[in-house]
Amino acid sequence: MKNPNYPLKKRLASRFLKALEKIKYNMSPSPVSIEEKRRRHRAVRGAAYASMASSVGPRRAWSRALLRKMRERKRARRNPRNADTRFGLNQLCDVVPGGEAMDSRSLLNETAHYIECLVAQVQIMREILHSSSSSSSTTL
Amino acid sequence: MSSRRSRSRHAGSSRITDDQINDLVSKLQQLLPEMHNRRSDKKSATKVLQETCNYIRSLHREVDDLSERLSELLENADTTQADLIRSLIMQ
Repeated sequence: MKNPNYPLKKRLASRFLKALEKIKYNMSPSPVSIEEKRRRHRAVRGAAYASMASSVGPRRAWSRALLRKMRERKRARRNPRNADTRFGLNQLCDVVPGGEAMDSRSLLNETAHYIECLVAQVQIMREILHSSSSSSSTTL
Repeated sequence: MSSRRSRSRHAGSSRITDDQINDLVSKLQQLLPEMHNRRSDKKSATKVLQETCNYIRSLHREVDDLSERLSELLENADTTQADLIRSLIMQ
């Protein structure tokens, strides 16, 4: 399933939709409490990042970091913090998964790939929302 | 891997140079949204990295917002999704 030639966006769409299906299947019927709505929101958001990480697999450091977080569900082992403060590089550590354990070259490469994947994921989520609202019956 | 990392704190062969950083940072600049990225402007690496962090944070907020809207959508949707998958995957 992790054929690198199969376009990223299609892999993302496939996994994310499957995850949404599972969330939908496990949903309790309305009306629901505010807490349940928050739980669903977190579930969808978790599915977004999980789809990204599993679509990319272990090929990137940022996706390995996300996968690790998903499996272990505890704080990633703290390696020595990236101490390279040139040009404010260390700020990237806060926003890129696993950034704090990367050397500066890796961090910059990982950041680029992570951005591309985030953009693709956002596009998919928008497309799902758009096609659901424009069809006469909302089907998911 | 860890020995390479500790060596990079001294002037080891694996420590990235300022020039190499600027190179990689200019590639990042290409990924920033057009609005903030007039490619004719040569921005400082510090500025680009700052904008990159802001951009990633805004993407995280978008995922968060879209997740909320999708979770509400799930509530109102029936489970037929073959058409939707087909249209998304066949693009």
